[in-house]
Amino acid sequence: MTEVLLLGRRATREIVRYPEATIPTLFIPLFFLVVNIGQVSKTFPSSTPFLKGQGYVAFQLPVSLMFAVATATSGLALVTEIDLGYFDKLLVAPIRRSSLIFGRLTADLVRGIAASGLVLLVGIALGARVQSGVAGAVLIVLLSALFGVAYAGFGILVALRTRNVQATQSSFLLFFPLLFLTPNFVPFDRLSPLMEALARINPISYVIVGLRSLVIDGWDLGKIGVCLLVTIALGAVLITASLRVIATYDRN
Amino acid sequence: MTMTFDTHRVEQPSALASGSESAIVARKLRRTFKGGIEAVRDIDLAVSTGEVFGFLGPNGAGKTTTVRMLCTLLPPTAGTAMVAGLDVVREAAQVRRRIGVALQEIGLDPVQTGRELLELQCGLYGITGRLATTRADELLELVGLTDAAERRTKTYSGGMKRRLDLASALVHAPDVLFLDEPTTGLDPASRLTIWDEVRRINAGGATVFLTTQYMEEADKLCDRVAIIDNGQIVADGTPEQLKAEMGRDVVSVSLDGADPAATEAALGGLPGLERVAAEPGALALYVEDGASSIPEIVRRLDRDRILVGAISVARPSLDDVFLKATGRRLEGQQRSSQELEEVSR
Ligand SMILES: Nc1ncnc2c1ncn2[C@@H]1O[C@H](COP(=O)(O)OP(=O)(O)OP(=O)(O)O)[C@@H](O)[C@H]1O
Ligand SMILES: [Mg+2]
Repeated sequence: MTEVLLLGRRATREIVRYPEATIPTLFIPLFFLVVNIGQVSKTFPSSTPFLKGQGYVAFQLPVSLMFAVATATSGLALVTEIDLGYFDKLLVAPIRRSSLIFGRLTADLVRGIAASGLVLLVGIALGARVQSGVAGAVLIVLLSALFGVAYAGFGILVALRTRNVQATQSSFLLFFPLLFLTPNFVPFDRLSPLMEALARINPISYVIVGLRSLVIDGWDLGKIGVCLLVTIALGAVLITASLRVIATYDRN
Repeated sequence: MTMTFDTHRVEQPSALASGSESAIVARKLRRTFKGGIEAVRDIDLAVSTGEVFGFLGPNGAGKTTTVRMLCTLLPPTAGTAMVAGLDVVREAAQVRRRIGVALQEIGLDPVQTGRELLELQCGLYGITGRLATTRADELLELVGLTDAAERRTKTYSGGMKRRLDLASALVHAPDVLFLDEPTTGLDPASRLTIWDEVRRINAGGATVFLTTQYMEEADKLCDRVAIIDNGQIVADGTPEQLKAEMGRDVVSVSLDGADPAATEAALGGLPGLERVAAEPGALALYVEDGASSIPEIVRRLDRDRILVGAISVARPSLDDVFLKATGRRLEGQQRSSQELEEVSR
């Protein structure tokens, strides 16, 4: 446990000292909030039924939150560390190998909280109202950060498997289609039949729906529960796979 | 090393047999990489506790591969290895607690400061809080980086990085220290600093296993040396033994255009001559006593009217050992100038 905290502190320090890696990941979500919404809100005025009296920014906020937390930063940091040889130094230390992954994920949690907190505040500044109140806002930040942790497992998995910077970098691109095959612009029932079918089998949809319910509906425990379960399941799959790769890392 | 640990080992006869005297034992250690590259071919090694052991070989000889196997980073394809009396495969976790490692590729984290890196390293070995701070201070002092302690390691020079990497291998006072080419790429002054540090660490009780491409390093720093070439150990012993096996002295006759065959023929019956080796533009005569054979060499060459260049005498170096064992010289190696006593004609 101590080693996870130590490695987590180090990874967090790396994020703070290397803002060049984090700032670009915040650019897209903030751009979405400010620019995209400014245009779309003419199409969907607050009288639109699914907005429940709020501006479109409230509807779109969860998508921005997810963009803010879903990054390949940890994977990139890991692959760089492998390249530099520091990873070998850590592997030869008497620690559990899983700590190397959990240390990174600790930093992802910290960054996720900071990034989603920031995006949420910008959303509120642009007029979104969190119907579930302060506790709901805190939950939104935590759920977003948790999703960021789960998603980081993907970058870490790619980093460990490929040990290649470019491959790890482009792993982030996988997230784009997944995020668009969701009710991200309109609810499920306003999507075309094909899109709706795809969106309904895409687990990411339910994360968005859960976060959105906290903003627009208030406390819908069913949606929140599904959101949490999907996030945990996604994280469990990706992180378990990463743990398996790191356990047999040197058998090349 | 605790008493309980030692008594525990009594129950493992094989570990005891080698464990009490030997810091490192390898038996028929082999590593084959994908594509059939045989990097290390069935090597046997025995390094006694308290030794500085030099593993000497040219590029691609298999030094790093051997070190990585001994450090638990790479599983052997075949054979066994024990470090500090523990099997590197079956008891890898315990081995890691007992060893310190500075790999050939310096493993530093560029965004941490030197102090942070050492304190983290302490933490990974269970040294935390004030103890970690004190230990980091000691080590920074030891490697002369106290002034640079608060700087991020990416601002360090190559020599500073090497020294910090060395310090980070020492946080837990390891029983066995592995250094893979600790001085490659360093200027002569930094090289001497590292040598001093290695001697001090060794004097503190650690067994040191170091790889090098430098004859001089093996010669000056190491109690015992093994020469590895092409994945196999071709010679081993103390530097003195190895050199003594070569015969006493090497007289080098620079041909300067003289006919090699005629020169060799003229010197054929020289008293005390063990063998003659042809080198580009020179003949190397391995003789019992170099200095006193010079007059006879000159007399014989005069007699046959053979005109040669300089004649020089040197004690055999490890380079000669390498030449004898492999039939090649280590690239970039020269007999160092102090070893040459120029004898003018
Ligand atoms: N991961 C690997 N996959 C395939 N071949 C490898 C691998 N690592 C090393 N080799 C090969 O094994 C041989 C020995 O390499 P090794 O790195 O052990 O040599 P070395 O003595 O350390 O050389 P150097 O002085 O250049 O560091 C070389 O032919 C090398 O190409
Ligand atoms: Mg090497």
